[in-house]
Amino acid sequence: MEIPYNVEVREDTGLYNSKLGIWLFLASEIMLFGGLFSAYILLRTGAPMWPPIGADGHSVLHILKDTVPHATFNTVVLILSSVTMVMAWVSLKQKDLSKYKLYLGTTIVCAIIFLVVKYFEYSHKIHEGFVPAHDTYMALYFTLTGLHGLHIIGGIVVLAYFFGPGINMWVSEPERFTNRIEIVGLYWHFVDLVWIFLFPILYLLN
Amino acid sequence: MSDSHHEESFWRKYIFSTDHKTIGIQYGITALLFLFFGFSLMMIMRWQMAFPDQAVPIFGGLIKWLAELNGFASVGNLPSDLYNVFGAMHGTIMIFLGVVPLVVGAFGNYLVPLQIGAPDMAFPKLNMASYWVYFIGGVIMLVSFFLPGGAANSGWTSYPPLSVIATTGQTFWLLGMVFLITSSLLGSINIIVTIVQLRAPGLTWMRLPFFVWSQLVTSFLLVLAFPPLEAAGFFQLMDRVFDTSFFLPSGLVVGGEALNVSGGGSPLLWQHLFWFLAHPEVYVLILPGMGVIAEVIANNTRKPLWGYKSLVYSVVFLGFMSFLVWAHHMFMTGMGQGMSIFFQTTTMIISVPSVIILSCFMLSLWGGSIRFNTPMLFALGWIPMFGIGGLTGLPLGLSTPDIHLHDTYYVIGHFHYVVAPGTIFAIFAGIYYWFPKMTGKMLDEVLGKIHFFFSFIFMNGIFWPMLIQGLAGVSRRLADGGESYAHSQGTLHLNEFMSYSAWLLAVAQIPFIINIIRTLLRKKDAEPDPNPWQATTIEWTDTTSPPMGHGNFEKVPTVHRGPYEYSVPGDSSDFTPQTKN
Amino acid sequence: MSRNDMTHHISNYRKIFVYLLIGTVLTVTASYLEFNVQNSIAGAVFVGLTIATVKGYLVAANFMHLNSEKKIIHWILLLTVFFLGLLLFIPLLWDLNLMSHY
Repeated sequence: MEIPYNVEVREDTGLYNSKLGIWLFLASEIMLFGGLFSAYILLRTGAPMWPPIGADGHSVLHILKDTVPHATFNTVVLILSSVTMVMAWVSLKQKDLSKYKLYLGTTIVCAIIFLVVKYFEYSHKIHEGFVPAHDTYMALYFTLTGLHGLHIIGGIVVLAYFFGPGINMWVSEPERFTNRIEIVGLYWHFVDLVWIFLFPILYLLN
Repeated sequence: MSDSHHEESFWRKYIFSTDHKTIGIQYGITALLFLFFGFSLMMIMRWQMAFPDQAVPIFGGLIKWLAELNGFASVGNLPSDLYNVFGAMHGTIMIFLGVVPLVVGAFGNYLVPLQIGAPDMAFPKLNMASYWVYFIGGVIMLVSFFLPGGAANSGWTSYPPLSVIATTGQTFWLLGMVFLITSSLLGSINIIVTIVQLRAPGLTWMRLPFFVWSQLVTSFLLVLAFPPLEAAGFFQLMDRVFDTSFFLPSGLVVGGEALNVSGGGSPLLWQHLFWFLAHPEVYVLILPGMGVIAEVIANNTRKPLWGYKSLVYSVVFLGFMSFLVWAHHMFMTGMGQGMSIFFQTTTMIISVPSVIILSCFMLSLWGGSIRFNTPMLFALGWIPMFGIGGLTGLPLGLSTPDIHLHDTYYVIGHFHYVVAPGTIFAIFAGIYYWFPKMTGKMLDEVLGKIHFFFSFIFMNGIFWPMLIQGLAGVSRRLADGGESYAHSQGTLHLNEFMSYSAWLLAVAQIPFIINIIRTLLRKKDAEPDPNPWQATTIEWTDTTSPPMGHGNFEKVPTVHRGPYEYSVPGDSSDFTPQTKN
Repeated sequence: MSRNDMTHHISNYRKIFVYLLIGTVLTVTASYLEFNVQNSIAGAVFVGLTIATVKGYLVAANFMHLNSEKKIIHWILLLTVFFLGLLLFIPLLWDLNLMSHY
């Protein structure tokens, strides 16, 4: 017996299985980042000043202000990747495989660009002595953006799979494949959404 | 028509199976082994408490070897450093490696698809992945015993600052927890989607067996409550590895030296994030058990459960409220009056659905034709045990008596009543009940009754005196069992009694183990009775024993009735299957 | 599905993309503006988070198709957001309600 509702929707819920599955996963991710944000709220409101001054007598504030353009650029890159991601799904709905590959490829490139910029940001801060152990802000900065970055890496791995070996399912089960891309897209948009909140919280509200 | 196209290799069929029944059995065996291990840790701890600083008999050499490997001195006794390790790991293993994988991973996985008429779980490959991630988490936890300094030793609650400055075992604990939490998340997403999407035609929400409802609520708790602990785990890892101090206040001095960390942290932050999970977690421990009890009671009273709707609304409300009570574990942290009032109120409110559920079970017995077989004996024994557990929770949920009782043996007595005779009796009831479905063979009733009788006596022998010791003020987590405190002296003699009860409880499991082995080795009948308990739910009425592999059903069952149509007036037999027209 | 059926989807995505870019520019500009010195941080936080919430809503409603999603998904998310609220704010309220201040 086949497992029903993998592609066709169940009548009373209106969903196919993996659509419900991914939203439940995203609900858990909301709680995960919620835990991270609640720590930010508690520790920031308890701090005498923000960003705090470390043992070396400095706060990261002026370096932070210098990196606002980079973070803004990254924000735009991620938003763009969200658009190309949903366009990749649209292309499959339109049965256009080469457009799908173009949009998906762009999404992956955007994600990599994001990580590269992040790498430069991290090295710059670390080079200046602003490591996680420096003060509470730096601890939160690295942990929050680090976990977000891990989610980006995970996303790249999955997107690369659907760009490469996974694309064979388009030939055998095109509808199921389209659904999978919709699901991956939902994950990707969520990662973008988290950054939309991280960006002002970490870079702008100081 | 079975769709076994090709012969599956041994590896695909038994080790890397995607069949929910095989995965359920994998979870079951692994979890039972961990339960045994966690139980053994406790038996050694109880030796130390009854006969402080004396060498452990038989296993003294092994304890000495392990202690010295960890860097502690021992003459075969359990030194206090190793006692702390055993205590922290006993709790961790029982909860995260034992009970939850058993009640959710084993029972949930095996039974939910069968009870709802589905061919498998919604995501079979994800199901297999969640088992192996659990397995890896378990290996990490076990390996940590062999590190210098031993495994984690800051309690299963891992409170900072102690946990942050503790030995390497704590880092392994955190890594292990990341794997276990991930496994849990994947598994519970699978269960929810399966229940929502794969119910057989005609199986409406209010026709679901209560067991399925309890698994659904449990899975929602796991999906939404675990992630904050995962976040906290990452923070603690950062504190331990990268010298941040999310949980350490500024200016903390350890061993005479100020710590070189980022500063500005809060130990209470850990407690909030930890208990945000850990309170719902205790309902994760008990709800599946309640589901088992419901099935066994309905079946062995030969009448429908009393108050099915009340049970469903109560369990859903209970799940929701469980997110609102966590700070009753934190009454002694200096919280303000507003917070205290809020959490006491929510805690009192949450006792209501529990009482409703227990009352419905008791009312279900009234007027029933009760069959006193082994599953039913465990279910009947469960009722007063869970009752004591629940009632002893009340003074802990009110902040004033909690001042006296917090961190004493009263707490340990309370929660063990709910998880030891609570959860474990439900698990035993389930094993005796569903064993014939899984294997086609019934377990022996005589051995079962002996197992029940002595387990019941010795469970009470261990945990009732804890309530007494706690009321006398004996603190928990003391390696010497309270010996060095004046106020403990009056109740110290109970330690020996409790320890003997614990070891005798172990002996009482021997009939159970013999029963399982003998029954497994026994030859199966040519055509085993698929429904020996004459039950109404789909797993009994529409599948063979054991159920056929890959697909479970010859054809999709259609449901026409509720789950507990026993003794329907006018019917020729005293049970009417859900799938009967 | 033909090319034409998706056209309104595509024009919508383009529109939302532009709004998101505008939102990003707004939020960066706002952070540089001088607020009333007393309330500068509170004001900045409020404006920043409001714009972020609007941007987040646009992504969720349009790219994630939440606007047209089924009821059960809405209920699950509502439940999640309720618990999220508890998680975010109870520890903070706790601090404000402390018995003694260290």
